[in-house]
Amino acid sequence: MITERALTIPGRYDRVSDACQFVSEGAQLAGFDTDEIFRIELACDEACTNVIQHAYRGENRGDIRVSWQIKEREFVIVIRDKGQGFDPDSVPQPDIPEGPEDLEELKIGGLGLHFMRTLMDQVHFSSDQVEGNKLVMIKYRSESTVP
Amino acid sequence: MSISFESLTPQSGVVTVTGRLDQTQSPELEEVLDDLLDQGYIRLIVDLGDVSYVNSGGLRCLVTGWRRANAADGDLVLCELTPRVKEVFAIVGFENVFSIFSNCGAARQAWQEQ
Repeated sequence: MITERALTIPGRYDRVSDACQFVSEGAQLAGFDTDEIFRIELACDEACTNVIQHAYRGENRGDIRVSWQIKEREFVIVIRDKGQGFDPDSVPQPDIPEGPEDLEELKIGGLGLHFMRTLMDQVHFSSDQVEGNKLVMIKYRSESTVP
Repeated sequence: MSISFESLTPQSGVVTVTGRLDQTQSPELEEVLDDLLDQGYIRLIVDLGDVSYVNSGGLRCLVTGWRRANAADGDLVLCELTPRVKEVFAIVGFENVFSIFSNCGAARQAWQEQ
């Protein structure tokens, strides 16, 4: 079984679905069910969209390298870009609204990070002037997903 | 993604969306909602029954439409969310704020009775 693969896409919104499809194929090999694959795909979508929006500040300004690795107990996704580094801790948690009155004032920035952190078991960012930005997202493989 | 519109009254109608509501497609829905609101359709039902996928870009687009409709003393309600779309709404608490109807018939009736 292939346990590691990588794909590079141009930083364009219309290519994000290719990265998601690529990651969902890995998640399928790792034994996740369709609900979990959907969540992993959404986290990948939000991560790549964030790269285009925040690291590259627009489309066609650089590539995004996506790789996945199936480990014994983990499915690991690594997303790299050469855009501007940013401190994820500086992004405020989005307000989670409790009623319609909150939607009026809701600040909807930071939703992508919130999705990644909610949908995956671990999310780590690092930034290096030479290597660029690196996002690692990990989903644990449960007993039932490990073949 | 495809989008269609059915007028119910001069101020209300149903927007039916099909496909994926992501960063690529949501600008098109935002444009349609903007156009309808500009035309005076301030009470909109958005039928998401055939939307298989929504991300944060899709949610932003719906919030923007909701805000514009409410600013014009109207409303934007949603109907027929699939379980996966419901899950996305729940992650960010949006299921508590949008009026969500399990079927579009109920939403249409509520509009027509107003």
